[in-house]
Amino acid sequence: MADPERSGVDLSRRVFLKSAGGLAAGGALGESALAATNSGLFGDGVERLTGEVEIELTLNGAARKVKVEPRTTLLSALRDRLEPPLSGAKLVCDMGSCGACTVHVDGKPAYACLLLAVDCVGKKLKTIEGLAQGDVLHPLQTAFCEHDALMCGFCTPGFLMSISACLDTKPTATLDEIKESCAGNVCRCGTYPHIFEAAVAAQRVLAGGKR
Amino acid sequence: MSALDPRREDESPKWGPRESMRLLNHEFVRVDAVDKVTGRARYTHDVRLPGMLFAKFLGCPIAHAEVKVDVTAAKALPGVVEVRVVREGEIRFLGQPVAVVAAKTREAADDALRAIKLEITPLPFAVTHAQSLAANAPKVGRNGNTSKVNEDGDGAQVAEAFKRCERVVEATYEVPIQHHACLETHGVVVDVPTADSGTVFHSTQATYGSANEFKGPLKVKQVEVVNEYMGGGFGAKFEAGVEGRVACELARELQAPIHLMLSRRDEFLIAGNRSGCVQTLKLGGSKDGKLLALEASVDKLGGLGGGSHGGFPFHYEVETSHSSTRSVYTNLDSNRAMRAPGHPQAAFGMESIVDELAYALGIDLLEIRKRNAESDVHRRQLDRVAREIGWFEHAHKNAPDLSDATRKVGIGFGLSDWGAGGGPACKVTVEISSDGSVRASVGSQDLGTGVRTYVAAIVAEELGLPLAGVTARVGRTSYGAANASGGSTTTGSLAPAVKDAAFNARRAFAAALAKTLKSDANDLSFDTEGVLDAKSKRRLSWRDACATLGPTGVSATGEWKEGLSSNVIHGAQAARVEVDTRTGEIKVLKMVCMQDCGLPLNRTAVRSQINGGMVQALSYALFEERVIEPDLGIAMNANFEDYKLAASKEMPEMVAIIDDEDTRGVIGIAEATIVPGHAAIANAIHNACGVRLRTMPLTPDKLLMGLAALKPLKPLKKD
Repeated sequence: MADPERSGVDLSRRVFLKSAGGLAAGGALGESALAATNSGLFGDGVERLTGEVEIELTLNGAARKVKVEPRTTLLSALRDRLEPPLSGAKLVCDMGSCGACTVHVDGKPAYACLLLAVDCVGKKLKTIEGLAQGDVLHPLQTAFCEHDALMCGFCTPGFLMSISACLDTKPTATLDEIKESCAGNVCRCGTYPHIFEAAVAAQRVLAGGKR
Repeated sequence: MSALDPRREDESPKWGPRESMRLLNHEFVRVDAVDKVTGRARYTHDVRLPGMLFAKFLGCPIAHAEVKVDVTAAKALPGVVEVRVVREGEIRFLGQPVAVVAAKTREAADDALRAIKLEITPLPFAVTHAQSLAANAPKVGRNGNTSKVNEDGDGAQVAEAFKRCERVVEATYEVPIQHHACLETHGVVVDVPTADSGTVFHSTQATYGSANEFKGPLKVKQVEVVNEYMGGGFGAKFEAGVEGRVACELARELQAPIHLMLSRRDEFLIAGNRSGCVQTLKLGGSKDGKLLALEASVDKLGGLGGGSHGGFPFHYEVETSHSSTRSVYTNLDSNRAMRAPGHPQAAFGMESIVDELAYALGIDLLEIRKRNAESDVHRRQLDRVAREIGWFEHAHKNAPDLSDATRKVGIGFGLSDWGAGGGPACKVTVEISSDGSVRASVGSQDLGTGVRTYVAAIVAEELGLPLAGVTARVGRTSYGAANASGGSTTTGSLAPAVKDAAFNARRAFAAALAKTLKSDANDLSFDTEGVLDAKSKRRLSWRDACATLGPTGVSATGEWKEGLSSNVIHGAQAARVEVDTRTGEIKVLKMVCMQDCGLPLNRTAVRSQINGGMVQALSYALFEERVIEPDLGIAMNANFEDYKLAASKEMPEMVAIIDDEDTRGVIGIAEATIVPGHAAIANAIHNACGVRLRTMPLTPDKLLMGLAALKPLKPLKKD
């Protein structure tokens, strides 16, 4: 008998995280959110969540209700459970290695595939769909278009979220800091030189206050 | 008078002089860039249909086994709709799917995967070259562990020629298996078919071709394949695959839409790889650096597939040569086409041994290439990239730096060529409406190369419109016939058909207008100001001209026409690399590529392709390698944590030069740009410090071992 998950052949960080997640989730939920869940006391006296839970996420400035399981990742909640879905963040590695699912959590970049949706209640979440203000693109989005910092485009939302978090918090960021900010993102088409050109161009706009 | 004046043309479309182009041969923003930067672009992975089930595979965790599958427990889990066997009995390669689950949520699908019970009887396997060729090796291929040897050239003649050589060098070069690593994995979303038709969303390089593959498993006569955006292909995505077949069967039998995209692990194990190889080369040359004799023996490693190799001699003229090539089979999935199939492998062997001979003869590394390159285009490009990389100021041109310095810099070169070309395959429709809008449609897929953008640009150029004045629709079979994107033939096949359709639409519009205006169609010309009647000097804006059309507007189709596309392209690349002799760290400082491509449709996108080729070659050089544990036959790096791709920290300065001396028609360039970069890096490492790395990837441990072999280890000095 062999089972790849149990034999440890394919034990990713999140398989561990998911199995531990139900426990961690309880603490992050507010009183009102907890009341709506199927929480219960197990034999060891620790409260765990089971089954489907309706939570409210603050997404791109709006409150969105979504039914998740305690183990549902933020990425899966966005892509698979929200109606209509937010599918700009991409599922690529499913283990926090490629950055394609990067979103902002309280202004900081985070891999949505490594977060549990229930842990994100009460936090300000921004996805690629919320990076532009209405029809006005973020300067980094404009620069990505102008410098052809995308080819197939599958990694693009992740790069934009990583670098925009860097530039929005530090408009004076240097090229090295920009490279550091997206060191956890992977582009297979090889658009890096164009991404750097775009980021530097956007940095100039942001540092100049032209927004 | 406009270049588009119909009287200056004959009856067939022509690109016209480049200097009068407004869009083509210029830099412009992709028409779908905004959709890609806002997350609006919808890929196959993103498709969500009502009542859709998530399907996933369970693969065999070892390379060769007898497998029995028990789905009972998995089927009983909440949220799980179906669990079924895909394959039982003998499993011949690592990762081969044995079961599939379909569930209402991703989480339930994972539960079901964990609950499937596999009874696995391990069988003897071979996952490496040595294991497959061992005396007591298990039988891997249906007809043994190697293919028949393919001989090319006259071995006896080559043996004679070696006697005339001033110097002869011989070495074995090993190239590992690489993965395409498309960020969007393979897969489909299949809608519930009706009695006679179906719709399949498919991440494919062959939108039009794959429709036929789905008809059987869907049991329908007609299939619409939708592929408006796709997250990379690089040669891996030509087939419907086991995922396409199984998803169609599930959708039909369960009467529910099925989302079956491969997991990252499955993507690594069953969805394609660039074959590895072991190549032993012997090269001899005259005192003045003329290549006289080459003997090559190549074992291709493409798992259960045949593998791929570009052949020898590669891009260099050798007076006489002989090669024997065979496939060596292992219990791994079959290789697939990957961007310039076989060529990067051959480039690594050939460029390395040409360098080794140059050092043996004491000849300048640039000189030996210019003396033996097959083409004058290569000679001209070599001079340019040499200038750009700083070769002429470089200190050691025919000997490595063997000084005691701790950080050393070297330069290396490599060449590429590719057939590309194109032919009749695509049918493009251009429609002009009475409201002034213009639509161009064709089924072709855009892999990220910029197809959608140049479809719009070619039509806009022809009609005198801004780029935004044309909407391009691609990536659906109902938009019209198209070829698969393979061998860099999309542009050569599609662009002429777009040009022809735009040309025909313009003439049809002129004919309709002439009737209304009571003038001669031959007197009407289109430019950025609208339409001009040369005889009456009357001018109409585009919008007013279109308003004269009836409600059906004007529509025309186009097909590939001789004379608009060309074939065979050339490139030269150079790399400047710094090595740290204390840590073995290898840092690529700069890469340069000069590439010809006929008429560049969008210079921005061409530059992106050139850079992309260099980036992938850099990644191949330094990091990429499928690792299979040889004793257990299990995958060690089938994920993005352990299969390292080059990323932002590894990026050097990059210079992409479009060779504007090439005045031919359009030619696709994707493949050529990936061919020689890794070889140039390997050569630069040797030039920097005297260590010849003959096994890729080129890693610090190998470099340190090489340095230790060069001279006895000394205690570390502070610097």
